[in-house]
Amino acid sequence: MAKVKLNVKVLRYNPDTDKKPYWKTYELETEDDVTILDVLNEIHWNIDGTLAYRRSCRSAICGSCAMKVNGRNVLACETGLHQFNSHKLKIEPLPGFKIIKDLVVDLDEFFAKLERILPYLILKKPTPDKEFLQSPQDFDKIQEAAMCILCGSCTSSCPSLWANEDYLGPAALLKAYRFIFDSRDDGTDERLDIINDRNGIWRCHTIFNCMEACPKDIKITEYLSRLKVKATENSI
Amino acid sequence: MSKTFKETSKTGAVLWFFQRVTAVILFIILVYHFVYYHFISQGVYPWRTVVAKMQSPWFNLLQFTFLITALYHGLNGVWMVAEDYIHCKAWRLAFFSVILMVGAALLFVGTLTIIKISSLKI
Repeated sequence: MAKVKLNVKVLRYNPDTDKKPYWKTYELETEDDVTILDVLNEIHWNIDGTLAYRRSCRSAICGSCAMKVNGRNVLACETGLHQFNSHKLKIEPLPGFKIIKDLVVDLDEFFAKLERILPYLILKKPTPDKEFLQSPQDFDKIQEAAMCILCGSCTSSCPSLWANEDYLGPAALLKAYRFIFDSRDDGTDERLDIINDRNGIWRCHTIFNCMEACPKDIKITEYLSRLKVKATENSI
Repeated sequence: MSKTFKETSKTGAVLWFFQRVTAVILFIILVYHFVYYHFISQGVYPWRTVVAKMQSPWFNLLQFTFLITALYHGLNGVWMVAEDYIHCKAWRLAFFSVILMVGAALLFVGTLTIIKISSLKI
């Protein structure tokens, strides 16, 4: 453990007082084994209390602290300083979302899109008396997709969404995949109807940004491709 | 499981499916083209030999398939990009009409070229 001097540029914006976002630079000294969230906490607690950012679990589970650091969407709580090979940091809010203040973005539209794909188990058959059994093979199909923590990193990194804000986006589509391919679910037709739309799955152009941005290493593009095949089978 | 009828032209399923199909066909035709015309048929040939080759029914079929698939693949690609950026329905319709007209014009010119080569007297 050694001390390092950091130069941290943070994109600041307060819609009540600022006309447009601007960069503010902070110089600080910290340990070299800290995370980006520790750096932000240090700034917030000891240098500038007006800096706004989201944080909660510190365990890469809640997804609150997703932000763009040195050009990459990351979770601040799980990303170490050592991962950047630089003592210069450039921290921005997630791209593609409206900024509420500083690093805090408006996720209302993100969650509204998630709601649209009916993100819950739809059952039409009688429910079993005890637990709903699923074979390990069936579970394997959705296990990775079910690990999504809805941090918004994938959706905010998607160029298709930057071009068309009505596009459902990778996070909502991944959730659709998770239920459509769930052997216990009976809502496949309803969900395919929703995603099989010009602003749905067909706006995904297999750019792979979502996969690169996902902090949980979920193979999102691969699952969306399976969803395209399923939607095509259902349509043609 | 009940099947729901959907207007696939509005959803993009058909466009996406045939974009993949034409990609595979284009790949096969291009591999054949490069292997046959650039590696196997090396050397200097007289004009008559080349035209005679180009007049064979197999060559015509290959060229016409290439023309159709390349036009579909290319113009559908342009349309997909337009779908991303053009959000106004009227502009989308206008752009789609332009794509159709460009496609029809290129199809006409391409077909005419194939027919003209086929009808050359050697």
